[in-house]
Amino acid sequence: MRRILPTAAALFVATLLQAGLAPYLAIGGVVPNFMLLVVVTLALVEGPGAGATVGFTAGLIFELLGTGPVGPMILVLTLTGYIAGLMHEKMFAEGWLLPLTVLAIASLGAEVAYGLILNLLGAGGAFWVTFATKMLPGALYNIALALLIYPWLARFLRVDRPMTTFRRLA
Amino acid sequence: MKLPQPEKSSASVGLLIVLVVLALSITTVWFREGDAGPVHRARLGMLAVSAPVQAAGEVVTRPVRGFIAWSSDLGVSRSQLEALRSQNVELRRRVSTLEEARLENLRLKKLAGFTQASNTKTVGARVIGRPTNQWEGVITIDRGTDDGVAAGMPVVGAQGLLGQTVGVTKRAAKVRLITDPQSGVASMIQSTRAEGVVRGSIEGKLTMDFVSAETTVRAGDIVISSGMGGVYPKGLIVGEVTRVQSSPSALYQDIEVTPAGRLSGLEEVLVLVSIPATADVGGGE
Repeated sequence: MRRILPTAAALFVATLLQAGLAPYLAIGGVVPNFMLLVVVTLALVEGPGAGATVGFTAGLIFELLGTGPVGPMILVLTLTGYIAGLMHEKMFAEGWLLPLTVLAIASLGAEVAYGLILNLLGAGGAFWVTFATKMLPGALYNIALALLIYPWLARFLRVDRPMTTFRRLA
Repeated sequence: MKLPQPEKSSASVGLLIVLVVLALSITTVWFREGDAGPVHRARLGMLAVSAPVQAAGEVVTRPVRGFIAWSSDLGVSRSQLEALRSQNVELRRRVSTLEEARLENLRLKKLAGFTQASNTKTVGARVIGRPTNQWEGVITIDRGTDDGVAAGMPVVGAQGLLGQTVGVTKRAAKVRLITDPQSGVASMIQSTRAEGVVRGSIEGKLTMDFVSAETTVRAGDIVISSGMGGVYPKGLIVGEVTRVQSSPSALYQDIEVTPAGRLSGLEEVLVLVSIPATADVGGGE
């Protein structure tokens, strides 16, 4: 990883937000996932290897903060970081539409995958109920937050290619 | 324009495989190890570190409801208006503080009444953290082993049972609420004494399982802890039956239960640190 310091700083801030702020941003029991936003943003900026590594770390922190099984979110965020990182080479422009689309798909995919793994481990609920009450609202909430956070986070992490605007160029 | 160097794909795939294997290994270790295992201990370490952050979040985000922005044009001079505004702000602040103290007093009186009625040793605690993700119902309280709190102790509020402690550090503890999907309370219908297990769910609803179809259960029946299993003492109010459904071919009824207390806005709770062996903590007959 070429830029450890900004990445560590982003993870640290995401941890603070997840522990201290996210619980109070809950709407109807749906809590935003700041760790996911950092993982996908970093994966888009750095690539699949870095995405997977940060996904692993963020997943571990996320699960140590909670009380559920430790491991499922590590797996989910590792894979999410890797897959999102595959789009890295297509992020040549300063546009926002493609990254946010990737963030949206990654967010929904991660929530669904996590819910399914919990089900497999016997800690989940009926799929469609969980989808309607947790997965979909959670993904939508993350996407809404991504609209606010992504441009600034990407600018912070993308130190070798300063972003001056967030216009859609392609 | 300088473009980022693409990562070598084979190296990335290798790294991914290593990380996935590590993740699966951690999952296995988590399920196989005991409470003293490394992953469980790491979680307690994280609780010790994150509790102050959660407490800070609780303070920072506490809504100052007394202050509502308002504007007025009273036709007074600008200086008078400014003086009245600053006086108003000060008075609102004081009213808000007093109102907060009054509400806290009411809640603590209820809790104290509960303790006297149940004759159990308790430790009062403030809620300093809410669930950090949407998949669980867990709160953090500001009491830990230094205050006599240990894992597995029942936690109650003014209305009834809230949950039990699951992770305890010196100065903080996690409380798994009864609505958490991993939660289960051996319970009974107060009026008929029909026994079952009240379980939480992902969507935060309570259901009472294993109640025989031959038993009569009605909406409005009070559900209390049965004392079976030894975790929760007998007689704690768990909730109220809101819906009952049974089919002729089913062995058990589908029973939906509403928690006795509102679990989302908790501020103070009591941890039952010592329960007499014959305790029947209030709700039972």
